[in-house]
Amino acid sequence: MKNILEVRNLVKHYGKFTAVDGISFDVPKGKVIGFLGPNGAGKTTTIQVLLGITLANGGSVNYFGKDFFKNRSYCLQRINFTSSFNNLQGRTSVFENLLVYSYLYNVKNPRKKIKELIEYFEITSLINKRYYDLSSGQKTRVNIIKSLLNDPELILMDEPTASLDPDIADKVLTLIENLRKSKGISILYTSHDMEEVARICDEVIFLDKGKIIAKDTPLGLTKRISNAQLNVTFDADKNVVEKYLKTENLKYKFQTKNTVVIDSKENLIPKLIFSLSKEGIWMTDIEIKKPTLEDFFLQIARKKI
Amino acid sequence: MINFSRVKGILLQELFITRKSLEIFFDIPFFAFTSILLVGFIASYISGSIGQIGAQYLVLGMILWECLRVTQYTMSVNVLWEVWSRNLSNIFISPITIFEYFLALILSTIIKILVLNVFLSIISFYMFDFNVLKVGIATLSLVLINLLIFGWTTGILILGLIFRFGTRIQSLAWGIIFLFQPFTAALYPVTILPKPIQTFAFFFPPTYVFEVARQSLSNQSINWSYINTAFILNIIYFSISIFVFAHLFKKSKDTGQFARNEG
Repeated sequence: MKNILEVRNLVKHYGKFTAVDGISFDVPKGKVIGFLGPNGAGKTTTIQVLLGITLANGGSVNYFGKDFFKNRSYCLQRINFTSSFNNLQGRTSVFENLLVYSYLYNVKNPRKKIKELIEYFEITSLINKRYYDLSSGQKTRVNIIKSLLNDPELILMDEPTASLDPDIADKVLTLIENLRKSKGISILYTSHDMEEVARICDEVIFLDKGKIIAKDTPLGLTKRISNAQLNVTFDADKNVVEKYLKTENLKYKFQTKNTVVIDSKENLIPKLIFSLSKEGIWMTDIEIKKPTLEDFFLQIARKKI
Repeated sequence: MINFSRVKGILLQELFITRKSLEIFFDIPFFAFTSILLVGFIASYISGSIGQIGAQYLVLGMILWECLRVTQYTMSVNVLWEVWSRNLSNIFISPITIFEYFLALILSTIIKILVLNVFLSIISFYMFDFNVLKVGIATLSLVLINLLIFGWTTGILILGLIFRFGTRIQSLAWGIIFLFQPFTAALYPVTILPKPIQTFAFFFPPTYVFEVARQSLSNQSINWSYINTAFILNIIYFSISIFVFAHLFKKSKDTGQFARNEG
């Protein structure tokens, strides 16, 4: 598959501190790649280097097969960026902001393009409003419109749903999913919300201390965690249940006198349920909690993987 | 190759911000207006002792000084509007080159100086009976070009410092040009400065052009030696400022300060 972005051995030092430590990855055409990691992992620095606002100390960045450091304007003309941490010009209106960026991206027939996008994103009524006066959700939509003005082939999205309420965040994610389907745009996506990453990303790159420590599909990453949790509600003597769990050397925690959460290998859960039943423990409710991307993230953050 | 669409984008941005910012109204036309009024009234008051030509020196000096101040202000403050709005990264991750960005700012200063010069000339003509064209269109053009170049030079240096050190040095964008005001003898002949300071004053191109403007007002002639010296110094300083800016800009991106400028 054709790669839109190829990063090879990228290195960035700040004095003696290594923020990005020789990372390599690709963003193929039409794919959404999640870029995750705990705070300080090097995600933001990498994105800044990929946008040319921070200089790398080593390695290469190629967009569309061209060296970004030597073809900055050419590459930036074909990509874009949106983040909940950047704003547009607050004093001017939504339309004025979009018009300015249309010229900066050399958009042909900018007024028509802006009209199309504001209709698609349903913000026609905001067009003459000052950017400062918009809500977070409205600003996010305007930022995304700005990032689409030049029909980019790749968008770098830095936590686009941060600070949005769940309803607006869901709408933004749906918009991103629709964009990907309708325009085949590639996206490099950072977020701390593992559910949304699992929802929209084809592949996830996990960064820690400036290094890539995992690269897989969201499902593939969660499968790396073998532990699951079994939540059992029972109608039996608590002591009998506890005695059995101790005998089997299992990790458990009683939540009430009739509810216990048991840690177990995912593949051993059926056997555990059968054994509990064989011990005469009457189970009234069983819930299996499979590992999620968030568990993977937490284990990395807590250095368990 | 220059892309004029991108240059137009920056010019439009400035136009939109200017239309909606009371601060810019006060910083440019209002401050220029009050300055010319103040100096004009002082000139009228003391014209009995310094003579009519002395009074005209003051008014002419203030008009030219305002052109220099506004040029430097425009070059430096534009970027601060983007920093304050957390929009700086968005501008510089667009395909615009730093050369196109400078070109837009330079065009903006030329437009502003032309408008400001007409505005202040009308005020001085109707309120203080002083026609700025008395210095001659050729002299006025040469003087303004030199003041523009010096304004670009100081503006570009401050822009580099803002990129490198962030908003903690932002007051230089308004303040630094006033450092030159006493030494460049905008409002009085350079000969009234103490001898050692005169030597120092002649390191700066505006000193020469303010002198040229006053001489032209007195005797309708152009001091070509001073104009040429001003041009040479301006070219040297402008080249140095570009070199220093390039270093500061690179350093700002290297240390991560550029991205941190948005807080």
